[in-house]
Amino acid sequence: MNKAISRIFIVGVILFVALIVNLTWIMAVRAQWFADRPENKRGIAKEMKIKRGDILGYDGSTIAGSVRRSGYYRRDYPQGTLAPQLIGYDSVRYGRSGIEQELNDQLTGQSTNLGVQSWIDRLLGRKPKGADVQLTVVPAVQKEAQKALSGQKGAIVVLDPKTGALIASASAPTYDPANLEDDWARLSTAPGAPLLNRPTQGLYPPGSAFKVVTATSALDYRRVTPDTKFIDTGTYVVFGGKVTNYGGAVFGPNDFTTALTYSINTTFGKVGSLLGRQRLVSSMQRFGFYRTPPLPLPQGEIVPSGRYGKKGLLSPEAFMDPLAVAWAAVGQEQVLSTPLQMALVAAGVANGGRVMKPYYTQEVVAASGAVVQKAQPQQWLLAMKPATASQLNIMMQRVVNAGTGTAAALQGIQVAGKTGTAERGDGTNLAWFIAFAPAADPQVAVAVIIEDTQSTGGEAAAPLAAAVIKTALAQPSLP
Amino acid sequence: MSRRNIELLFLVIAGALSTMAYVSVYAGRFREINRVSIIYGLVFVGIFFLLHLLVRFVLPQADPFLLPITALLAAIGLTEIFRIRPSLALTQGQWLLVGAGLFVLTILVVRDHMKLDRYRYIMGVIGLGLLVATIALGTTVNGSKLWIHAFGFSIQPSEFAKLAIVIFLAGYLNDKKVMLSVPTHHVLGVPLPAAKYFGPLLVMWVLSLAMLIFMKDFGMALLFMSIFVALMYMATTRIVYVVLGGGLFAAAAAIAVAVVPHVQDRFGTWLDPWPHATTTGYQLLQSLFTIADGGILGAGFGRGFLLYANHQPVVPDLQTDFIFTAIANEMGLLGAAGLILVYVLFMWRGFRIAVWAPDGFSKLLAAGLAFAFGLQTFIILGGVTRLIPLTGITLPFVSYGGSSITANLMLVALLLMVSHRTNVVREGSDLERRRLAERG
Repeated sequence: MNKAISRIFIVGVILFVALIVNLTWIMAVRAQWFADRPENKRGIAKEMKIKRGDILGYDGSTIAGSVRRSGYYRRDYPQGTLAPQLIGYDSVRYGRSGIEQELNDQLTGQSTNLGVQSWIDRLLGRKPKGADVQLTVVPAVQKEAQKALSGQKGAIVVLDPKTGALIASASAPTYDPANLEDDWARLSTAPGAPLLNRPTQGLYPPGSAFKVVTATSALDYRRVTPDTKFIDTGTYVVFGGKVTNYGGAVFGPNDFTTALTYSINTTFGKVGSLLGRQRLVSSMQRFGFYRTPPLPLPQGEIVPSGRYGKKGLLSPEAFMDPLAVAWAAVGQEQVLSTPLQMALVAAGVANGGRVMKPYYTQEVVAASGAVVQKAQPQQWLLAMKPATASQLNIMMQRVVNAGTGTAAALQGIQVAGKTGTAERGDGTNLAWFIAFAPAADPQVAVAVIIEDTQSTGGEAAAPLAAAVIKTALAQPSLP
Repeated sequence: MSRRNIELLFLVIAGALSTMAYVSVYAGRFREINRVSIIYGLVFVGIFFLLHLLVRFVLPQADPFLLPITALLAAIGLTEIFRIRPSLALTQGQWLLVGAGLFVLTILVVRDHMKLDRYRYIMGVIGLGLLVATIALGTTVNGSKLWIHAFGFSIQPSEFAKLAIVIFLAGYLNDKKVMLSVPTHHVLGVPLPAAKYFGPLLVMWVLSLAMLIFMKDFGMALLFMSIFVALMYMATTRIVYVVLGGGLFAAAAAIAVAVVPHVQDRFGTWLDPWPHATTTGYQLLQSLFTIADGGILGAGFGRGFLLYANHQPVVPDLQTDFIFTAIANEMGLLGAAGLILVYVLFMWRGFRIAVWAPDGFSKLLAAGLAFAFGLQTFIILGGVTRLIPLTGITLPFVSYGGSSITANLMLVALLLMVSHRTNVVREGSDLERRRLAERG
């Protein structure tokens, strides 16, 4: 009997050893793996005990603040809905997104570059204090952009062409970040996708707004000058197909400047043929197409523009027949662009061909008050020669003064721009307008897109760009 | 050093350890130590000191380690419950008081466990009756029917049934062990005892199947079936009962998985919890995340992340079935492994008492109790760490729950009585032997 009792005890001990082995596996070997699982929200919940840094606008006002309730900090939004898709959310239940996720280490004071005090705090096991992040987003401009979009679907991006600073980034439909958790079920399934950050995630055919890229390429490679003559018959036949004008218009004799002013498709189709695929794509690349813009956002929240096939972004070397090149030069075909990328196109022209690296962080101020990070504008790409930029600047002024974009004209401010109307084939249009102002010394570059409209870019998008430019230029200071 | 002085020494050590844990939690929660906190601590120490005195006078030769281990586990449990929800700690403290009362009553009324052998059938009927009553009158909590609500209390009768059935089986099997171990015929070359002695095995199997299907509780069914099979094996030393019992239980479990959705869910989430992360697998995954978060050293008592901003625990049922999760998070791998070793130590004392006991009934009783205690611990610890399918069962002395702590204190009382008798018979003085004889 004793032998059997001992055996049972030994079996019991083996089972308990198995428990300890399994526990070691969970707590020591795989601890980090468990911590990194997306289902695991403990990290976020724990960080709620840290006073999360504020997210401030360029004017110093709080966009996302931190309020303490029974030992935990929660976000509050004193200005209501202000760029929620860019700012992102910070939720125990649904995780983080946008800037909240991208700058989480700074906002929770856990970043390694927050200065000596944060190191001392950490050594002493003190709870870290979050650093405040001041954005380049100017709340007044942002509000104007959101107001302009209200009731529609679309996006507005405003950049400082000289620095690359993101002044406004509006996406519609939008949502109230304060009620995110309650509204999640509705928001995540709503047909208008309010959670989507259209400026960086929305991919649209750029339509005629893309003609700025084609014109850049044609002028830069000296295939045309602003005065090169063309004759439009309403149709340009190429490679067994044809390029036609919007609304079946026929313009007759025109020069290249006029072609941009009135957005003549056949002329740009011909220019596309003069350029060929390689030069056109190469100019696109020099604007930033085919790569993810270096605006720091979480994986998937910012996407590259370029030619897209069924399986996503195509290689720049992908084959195009002459008809495809001609249509691509017009901005139809398989080219897709984010509003941010089109704003970068406008900014590149405005800044004499130099495309600045886009950014949104003006300053990071540690809890101790020390400024630990400050924006340093950098050139990202060189899109064209300065001479080309000057020529395009004048041509784009003509668009606003005498062409398709007259609705963007402002009293006392010379606006330069380009309209775009991409037909979706279901009777609705995508209305584009890209612009910069003042043309002589550009302070802002804008891209506006309106989805699901019956109107053209000149009608639906240009007035919004004008309103936003007017507000932006009225600001006491811009980044 | 006498057994009782060893016990006192270890009680003091256990008391010191628990005081440290308690102070850590209290300071972590309220950032101060005040009079109330000290009074609670003193009441706890007082209870176990009184139990020690009782053992000193009534069972002087009893095992000196069981009571300190019990005190340590109960203190860790109370501290962690207090840390999760202070109001529950007060209730649990009252249950500890009730448990201590029943511990005293058990020792004073029974005096010598050999008396219990005479009432073995009554015990069997009580045990069976408690289980049947649970099936008939029980209410369902968390998908399992384990509770009876009466007189404003919720009682978990299976905790007490466990004791009664071990007593019954120890007596019954000790009586029938010879018949059960003699093979009378062969089936497929396997020598088997007479078919009529398989009766109890089949009764037990039907009972555990009924528990699986009607109580929807895999853990309790596994516990009862295993107690039975282990005692059969220890009584007869015939491995055939283990094989048969294991096979029968596996068949019962397969039926339950096929028929009872609750058991099916538990089994499915055990195999792969990830697709059910927000539904049936939520509790288990949160438990694993919380345990993994403890790391090697843990956050420290009262310093782990166990409660959300709204005071809800990070794992549902954290203070009962998942108390080990909370402890692992706060004490780390070292503390959690240490706690497991404390349970091994308890088991070892129990089995040691069984091995040294002079008679079959005492052996089977002590081994059965130690086995039941150890297996229950393993089932819940394995469940919350995903070693085995999760099933709602308490962690002895540590989990929140009145029935559990009360029944397990009675279990300790029984083991102490067996060890006292054993030690007196083996090495006691004439006086002690005479006293023992008078008790019987």
